[in-house]
Amino acid sequence: MIEVAGLSKRFSESILALDGIDLTVQPGEVVCLIGPSGSGKSTLLRSINFLEEPTGGVVRVAGKRVGFVERNGRERRLGAREIAAQRAEIGMVFQLFYLWPHKTALENIILGLVEVRGLSTAEAARIGHELMAKVELSDKMDAYPEHLSGGQRQRVAIARALAMNPKVILFDEPTSALDPELVGEVLAVMEKVASEGMTMVVATHEMGFARRVAHRVVFMDQGKIVEQGTAEQIFGNPQHERLKRFLDRILV
Amino acid sequence: MNIDFSMVIPYLPILFKAAGMTIVITVLSQAIGTFIGFFLALGRMSRFAVLRGVVWTYVLIFRGTPMLLHLFFVYYAAPAFGLTLEPFPAAIVAMSLSTTAYNCEILRTGLQAVHRGQIEAAQAVGMTWPRILRTIVIPQALRVCIVPYMTNFISHTKGSSLASVITVPELMLSAQMIYSSTYRAIEILTAAGAIYLMLTSALTLVQLWLEKWLRFDERGLSQRRRRQLLLSAGGNG
Repeated sequence: MIEVAGLSKRFSESILALDGIDLTVQPGEVVCLIGPSGSGKSTLLRSINFLEEPTGGVVRVAGKRVGFVERNGRERRLGAREIAAQRAEIGMVFQLFYLWPHKTALENIILGLVEVRGLSTAEAARIGHELMAKVELSDKMDAYPEHLSGGQRQRVAIARALAMNPKVILFDEPTSALDPELVGEVLAVMEKVASEGMTMVVATHEMGFARRVAHRVVFMDQGKIVEQGTAEQIFGNPQHERLKRFLDRILV
Repeated sequence: MNIDFSMVIPYLPILFKAAGMTIVITVLSQAIGTFIGFFLALGRMSRFAVLRGVVWTYVLIFRGTPMLLHLFFVYYAAPAFGLTLEPFPAAIVAMSLSTTAYNCEILRTGLQAVHRGQIEAAQAVGMTWPRILRTIVIPQALRVCIVPYMTNFISHTKGSSLASVITVPELMLSAQMIYSSTYRAIEILTAAGAIYLMLTSALTLVQLWLEKWLRFDERGLSQRRRRQLLLSAGGNG
């Protein structure tokens, strides 16, 4: 579903955020990205939906090159419209939610359906209602984000991503900004989404979630994939020194 | 010297008519200045350095020189370039040039105050820039810039009195003409001042109303929208 090959991203002379990433994600697979902050997890996710333009390498989603088109061996950058159309197929959930404060929870969910997919408000609202039920917020339809807790906001953001019926959803540390007691409700929704077969790439510090849900755990450090494997392998039998040190720090 | 405000009464129709002209030149130039200023604000945020530079220079010049000078320039100096304008269009041009510069900066403040993540979230659902601007950026920017915008509007209303120097028959010129023939400066200027205060107070009320209207979460959805969103999908709203 996702193929990343030789991906690199240089922000400046001294900052190389991604350094030759190769990663393949199968349809329906849940991959957790772990690693210290600054290791490139976010940049990798943001490169997959072209919020960051890679310096080098190739990203494919559902077989299609993201951000570029190749013809006769030459690559051409896609226009803004085409890039937007690709992004509509790739959901994203942000650490800080980024719900639109001037729209109600339901409006946040259906905006893409109306503006991008061209659905009528009524059709979109019907889908929105189903998704609000799925994230267990049916009683918060016309609440504005300001009046929702962090956990509720993130659940709305997940519903917003689901609304577009994407091929894959990228989660950029979805629980890192939440109070500890609110983390569980968000992870529960993510588990539900995973169990329905959604392809997910999740940058996270929630090792419990990674153990329970991830088909594969990928450890990144300094812009590289250092080690990957099943949760048991990564947590139970880490090979690299850097991963061992990271786990020692995080699993106290 | 005896002051007698009742002498103003016969002149009130003239003053109100002149106030009408004040409203026309103020609102018209402010509308033009808002429209062009909006696009200049976008230009100021463009990734094209040349465009940014052009807008920056425009603002530097027209915010940095007096509107009185713009009025004189458009009215008296333009004929040298083969362009002769009547007082009214000359005033509209000069006042628009001036307020455009201010509106550009005010609107830019609002646009730039919208958090980058707000835009990224819209990009992530596949929206293109014009849609993002319309549905995400502008509604949030309005909330930020409504107070400075209305402050400039009020300032511009008072500044319209400068159009008197190029003989636009607005409130200040009419007042001057009346007191120079009646020698009743105190009464007439007081009346003119009261009318200006009425105009700017009206704008202050508009500002209060807009501020209230832009607190979306307190305003809530309109009945129509609520029906569309909540009842149409099954009637559990």
